[in-house]
Amino acid sequence: MEQTDQLILDTAHRLFADQCDAETVNRAENCETPDRLWQAIFESGLTLAWVPEAAGGVGGSLALGFNLIRQAASFALPVPLADTLVANLLLAKSGLSVSAGCWAAMAFDGHEVPSLLQGEVSGVVEAASGAPGATVVVVPVLEKEVVRIATFAPSAIDMEHHESLAGEARSRIIFDSAIPSQLSAPVDGMTVDGLKQFCALVRACQIAGALEKITDLTVGYVRERHQFGRPLGKFQAIQHKIADIVGESALTGAAVEQAVRKLSAHPVPFSGDSDMLLPLATAKIVASEAAGRVTRNAHQAHGAMGFSFEYPLQQYSRRVWSWREEFGPEFYWSGRLGMAVASGISSHGSNHGDGGTWDLVSQ
Amino acid sequence: MESVRFSFPAPEIDESVDELRKEVRAFLKEEVRSGGFIPVTDCWCAGVDPDFSRKLGQKGWIGVTWPRQYGGRDLSALHRYAITEELLVAGAPVHAHWIADRQSGPLILAKGTEDMKRNILPQIAAGKCFVALGLSEPESGSDLASVRTRAARVEGGWEITGTKLWSSGARHCQYMTVLARTGERDPDKRHAGLTQFLVPLDSPGVTVRGIRDMSGVEHFNETHFESAFVPDDAVLGAVGEGWKQVTSELALERSGPERFLSTFIVLEKAMQHSAAGMNGHQAAVFGSILARIRALRAMSLGVAALLDQGHSPEIEAALVKDLGTRLEQDIIERLREFWPIQMKQGYGDEFQSLMSDSLLRQPSFTLRGGTNEVLRGIIARGVGLN
Ligand SMILES: Cc1cc2nc3c(=O)[nH]c(=O)nc-3n(C[C@H](O)[C@H](O)[C@H](O)COP(=O)(O)OP(=O)(O)OC[C@H]3O[C@@H](n4cnc5c(N)ncnc54)[C@H](O)[C@@H]3O)c2cc1C
Repeated sequence: MEQTDQLILDTAHRLFADQCDAETVNRAENCETPDRLWQAIFESGLTLAWVPEAAGGVGGSLALGFNLIRQAASFALPVPLADTLVANLLLAKSGLSVSAGCWAAMAFDGHEVPSLLQGEVSGVVEAASGAPGATVVVVPVLEKEVVRIATFAPSAIDMEHHESLAGEARSRIIFDSAIPSQLSAPVDGMTVDGLKQFCALVRACQIAGALEKITDLTVGYVRERHQFGRPLGKFQAIQHKIADIVGESALTGAAVEQAVRKLSAHPVPFSGDSDMLLPLATAKIVASEAAGRVTRNAHQAHGAMGFSFEYPLQQYSRRVWSWREEFGPEFYWSGRLGMAVASGISSHGSNHGDGGTWDLVSQ
Repeated sequence: MESVRFSFPAPEIDESVDELRKEVRAFLKEEVRSGGFIPVTDCWCAGVDPDFSRKLGQKGWIGVTWPRQYGGRDLSALHRYAITEELLVAGAPVHAHWIADRQSGPLILAKGTEDMKRNILPQIAAGKCFVALGLSEPESGSDLASVRTRAARVEGGWEITGTKLWSSGARHCQYMTVLARTGERDPDKRHAGLTQFLVPLDSPGVTVRGIRDMSGVEHFNETHFESAFVPDDAVLGAVGEGWKQVTSELALERSGPERFLSTFIVLEKAMQHSAAGMNGHQAAVFGSILARIRALRAMSLGVAALLDQGHSPEIEAALVKDLGTRLEQDIIERLREFWPIQMKQGYGDEFQSLMSDSLLRQPSFTLRGGTNEVLRGIIARGVGLN
């Protein structure tokens, strides 16, 4: 990562640490908008990290954005920063204008996208993210197999707001011959599957960040809490749970970092090219599997305290439990990864060394 | 609250690494085709073929990171990493030289006498000299500091007395690195008074007996030392520094690809068998395994990169071994769903035979080189629990 990226990340870290303690997160879920956090984020320009400087943004690398997303998740940031980053990136990539100082909703959940016919958008997005409070709704649409980006003012469309398991806004949006306020030209190289893969990596990065926080919380807790006259962390059974947590969390980190590197080296991040499937699927599979394993051990090590609403662990558990399902759980991506490798082998003949499993997975 | 954060950077892989990898891969493919070797599972422990090791030595693929003056090629750790990966996934019979290439050679390079470096390293690199690890004993396993083998000072050298157990491949080896007690036991300083020796296994007073393992391979050994004399210059490193040397040696060997690829050959063949008619469920099982392998590889390469940058990623290395060895076991358990394991040597079928051999060998994966329980203790202490 570049030095300026690191500076931005450090700034973001300070901002999150100052403005987003555990109480802020709990209060946000009880409908108390974290105004100061909002303001601080808007003022810092973080929502524009992926927008080129020419378009008024920060011009940060893909790695910067993904690291921001991971970091935000490690604070359970109760704002749609990740969704706005992605939405703004889509706007910028498709040549549409991006606004600073506001949230943008991502009307894309990895399933079918609305269709565009003679300038009108029709279809349903079941779980758009970041819609309440957003000034613009960004939606990828398909016209004759080609992806374009459309935007809507929230007031111009039908939305039903729901909450994910973690209390994050997920909205059902019905587009009924709706006329977009902005519509892009076809976006070069962008495919719906590519978008889905990209968003799956976003969720994997969020899981990675949350798992890091769960690790910290659990290590901290078992050092502080005493039973039988000693810290819990002295008990070997607990130490082994910690080692498992640390391992799954580190493995998730390794998988997402590798995927981000591969994606950064690719000319078109939303292409859905077959050589991107392996790293991106790997990240989502490993992260989603880890989500279950880490939370199970973390809750066990915390005893009843971890089960209370007030203690922060649950904010992270509920988040990773919902994120692991979004944009395809581990089962979905495992199936695709397995099939991709199998077809890679069949099309090469079955000779080990060229087009064998090793050849394919070691790239 | 302190934070537990890891980062697994990508190593710098230049073209020469990829070229070397291709060369090794092509060579191995040709060897398999011409019957030079039959692929085995867990090949770095179960595949012994000194002739094959010599062939690799002739190719210049052993000890590649060592200086030229000692028979090496001054290549990077990444070059070695690529060679070892290719050997592992091909199931090549590499056990004879594996330990010497991976850890005894580097130990000699770091701590050995000039004579050892000049005389032994080139022989190792040529695939002609093999080294066994003399750590475990009948009464000392996980609690390695409790070793009872003693080395007593005598004129001109030392006399070693004791028994080393489970030493892999010792019957094919010319030397053993022996961890022995040279100072009195001190309950307050358990790690003091230990010294490493490089002992020629043909020394008078040394007897090596093979032990058959449950898979039928006579791969580990029991070695008796009865007042076996070694000269002063057989001390490897410094007297009394044995514990420090051994632990850093073990830390080094934890994160290599043999900690997650021991059963890859089975997976490779299983994919070949099922690729054409793969159904959704099978694909999901394979996909989940392959994802984990990819992630572990990213982690293991990350550790290699950190080592290369001069860091000492001890926790990270322990994590690779703990996660990787369990994955090696899981692979076989999960493939059983499609290929039940029932008959000895798979009734003669090559693939079934790899499956059954793997099942018979997998209990050792989470034991050798320090058990996973011990590793998890290291990890827990590493993040601040003690
Ligand atoms: C295939 C193979 C090759 C080997 N090659 C070599 C070799 O070349 N050279 C060599 O010196 N040794 C070798 N070993 C031995 C290996 O290093 C030991 O098996 C290992 O260190 C464990 O010791 P042990 O078998 O005596 O088990 P023990 O130490 O008796 O342990 C038995 C069980 O108790 C657990 N346990 C022990 N202490 C603790 C603790 N404090 N907390 C929690 N659990 C604990 C262990 O994890 C294990 O599950 C080899 C072993 C195998 C299987």
